[in-house]
Amino acid sequence: MPKVKDTSASSKALNVIIYAVMVFSLLICIIPFIYMVSLSLSSPKAIINNQVRLIPKGINFEAYRQIFTYPNFFRAYGNTIFYTITGTFIALCMTILFAYPLSKTYLKGQKILMKMVIFSMYFAGGLIPNYLLISSLHLTGTRFAMLIPFAINQFNLIIMVNFFKALPQEIEEAALIDGIGYFSILPRIILPLSTAAIATVGLYYAVFFWNDWFNGLIYLNTKQYPVMLFLRNIVNGTMVLGDSSSASTDTATLSISIKSAVIITSTLPIIVLYPFLQKYFVKGLTVGSVKG
Amino acid sequence: MKKTLLIALVALTAFCSVFAQAAQEATNDGPVKFSMYYSDNATLPFKENWLTVVEAQKLANAEVDWEIIPIADYSTKVSLALNTQTNAPDVILYQTTTGENASLAMNGAIVPISDYSDWTPNWNAMVEKFGMQDDIETLRLKDGKLYYLPSLTDVPFYDGGLILRQDFLEQYGFDAPKTYDDLYEILKKYKEVNPSSYPLTILAGPRVLYRMTMPAFGLSIGKNGAGGSRVLSWDYSNKQFFAAAVSDEFKAYISFFAKLYAEGLLDPEMADPIDGGIWSRKMATGASMATWAYYDQIGGVEAASEIEGFKLQMYPALAGPAGAHHQQKNRTGSGIMFPAKTAERKDFEQIVRAVDKMFFSEEAALLWCIGKEGVTYNMVDGKVEYTDEIKNSAEGIYKYMQLNYGCGSDVTQMIWVNSREMTKYDENYSQINAAVEAIGDVIQYIPPTPKFDDDSAEEATTLMTPLADAFEVWCDAFLTGKKSIDKDWDAYVAEMQKLGIDKYCALYNANL
Repeated sequence: MPKVKDTSASSKALNVIIYAVMVFSLLICIIPFIYMVSLSLSSPKAIINNQVRLIPKGINFEAYRQIFTYPNFFRAYGNTIFYTITGTFIALCMTILFAYPLSKTYLKGQKILMKMVIFSMYFAGGLIPNYLLISSLHLTGTRFAMLIPFAINQFNLIIMVNFFKALPQEIEEAALIDGIGYFSILPRIILPLSTAAIATVGLYYAVFFWNDWFNGLIYLNTKQYPVMLFLRNIVNGTMVLGDSSSASTDTATLSISIKSAVIITSTLPIIVLYPFLQKYFVKGLTVGSVKG
Repeated sequence: MKKTLLIALVALTAFCSVFAQAAQEATNDGPVKFSMYYSDNATLPFKENWLTVVEAQKLANAEVDWEIIPIADYSTKVSLALNTQTNAPDVILYQTTTGENASLAMNGAIVPISDYSDWTPNWNAMVEKFGMQDDIETLRLKDGKLYYLPSLTDVPFYDGGLILRQDFLEQYGFDAPKTYDDLYEILKKYKEVNPSSYPLTILAGPRVLYRMTMPAFGLSIGKNGAGGSRVLSWDYSNKQFFAAAVSDEFKAYISFFAKLYAEGLLDPEMADPIDGGIWSRKMATGASMATWAYYDQIGGVEAASEIEGFKLQMYPALAGPAGAHHQQKNRTGSGIMFPAKTAERKDFEQIVRAVDKMFFSEEAALLWCIGKEGVTYNMVDGKVEYTDEIKNSAEGIYKYMQLNYGCGSDVTQMIWVNSREMTKYDENYSQINAAVEAIGDVIQYIPPTPKFDDDSAEEATTLMTPLADAFEVWCDAFLTGKKSIDKDWDAYVAEMQKLGIDKYCALYNANL
């Protein structure tokens, strides 16, 4: 069959508009980021004199040097990577293990369990009760305080449940007929078909663990702090200054280049992750499971 | 077989407990070990190998487990530790008993350290030496007890103030300004020469301007107002609070700054927080020429500016209707606190004594301020002489000592002797301080904190929130000319009175 190509003027015009909108959206997203990169690499003098545009001026790596030499920076970075990888793994396991049974409408008590999940989504315990709970479980001061309490997020769980519900019942029946046991259906049949949902939910979890500083602050001790806590401290440097009523330590301000370098350092790894996960989003959605 | 195993297990347990006890006793002679919260500022990141940190522990024969907590989140972490007493440290630095801590103290979450004054001989001696008994009295809570060991200052120093472009003043033949009217003339001239400029800008936001300039008009209100009442000020002659937000003093104050705003002399962008980078840019490029800020911020801007002859100078406080005053400051500052849980430790006395020695002894006072003799300085003819490396550092003595040795940090330095501090600054700064001292009473004390009980504290908070909100809105409106000071003043006063400003003021005065 010959390829149909619409060459009418209106179609061309539409293409131009589509491309223009796309380029415009792209620029909106990318220009602030490039500007940040540029600021982080420019000399303070060029920044103060308002000479930096999209290309760095007076290139130097001083801002990055200052961040990387911040005491314990690499240990904290290592902590964050650990929390992100382990946390996402635990969270995915727990969420899948909970979501799969919940997706079966014939499960006794499924509706009540689902209502309890949704209830806890809207009504949380609050800071002090949560802290006391974690503390009575002897998790404070241990790395598990960052991992276990956040293993199941209700919103992600609902995404998972709905995804599993959408999978045809017939596949599982066919698998049973073919002689596979009940406990093998989830890992051998369902999970390979759910890469899209797993990638999506996994990314949500990874971003959550990557960005989380508050739980680290309240539950952990200094040596276990995630890097975001330090980076937040650096970015907030000048805000604190405004509220301080005394001088000395609080008066020295941090240059905007350091703040930009912080933003780059903290967001880059997650941005890098997206292209690798993208193929799962597309593939997962297009894989057909039941033919005919 | 099972029996033998059981006996072996019991024997092992007994052996372990005896061994553990022996080990415990053995450590009694060793350094006292305790954990401590430290508020960490990104501009001065804590290092465990700082000379001061290492030496102070040696001095007090202590082994400290430092918990480094970012300053932005410090209060949250401290509040959780004190509220729950779980995972709490033994010692907390950088605390006072204002706000939540006062009620926590009254509810038994904090050790009343004044009950153990025999264990703090060094602190007691410093209080006596500086003659600060009266200052300490004002820090006692309703039960007459003191819940923290505050830092002590012999003479408060003028570390921030009005900063102007000295080169501009010289070029147009202005003398150093003495009054707010003098400043007005200078700003007006700058605007005339540079029509697109906003001559006066403020670092961080209006609250910095307010807290530094209001005392010259006889008040101190707003978000950073001295005393934290937000709408009341202290009458220094009658020794009681008055409703400053609706007073003639405030009317005169806001009229002056509204005039600056209307004539384009005050930077309109200050409504948004102006961060350090933008502020430096405004000053360095000549978009502004006057500001209120701290002395050690001048250097960076001067170095960055490309304007020929660019020179910034800090000036003594300007005289307003109430005289020449700058932001109030107490001779006591944030200090050291012990959570109630620490008092349950067997070695509580050793901990308190170690902390006292580590921060308040004569040796500690020297160490946290100027370091160690032979390493950071030498005494030449009775004067402090810093090593060449420190003297010639690009950052200046003060910053270099902070970053490399941990000297001069608000968090750990508990004894501030003005003359000793001045050895770290340049001649110019010492002269400004001398000029300020000559004016006399420029830096007044911070009004006393009312001794509220739980009920009156709650009533005060309930009254304060709407009053403070209304004040912020009206203050902005008056400043920017959205509301006329002449026409709308009565409506504003009526609203504040309706919100109970008089009741609020009476509540403060009743609890002094």
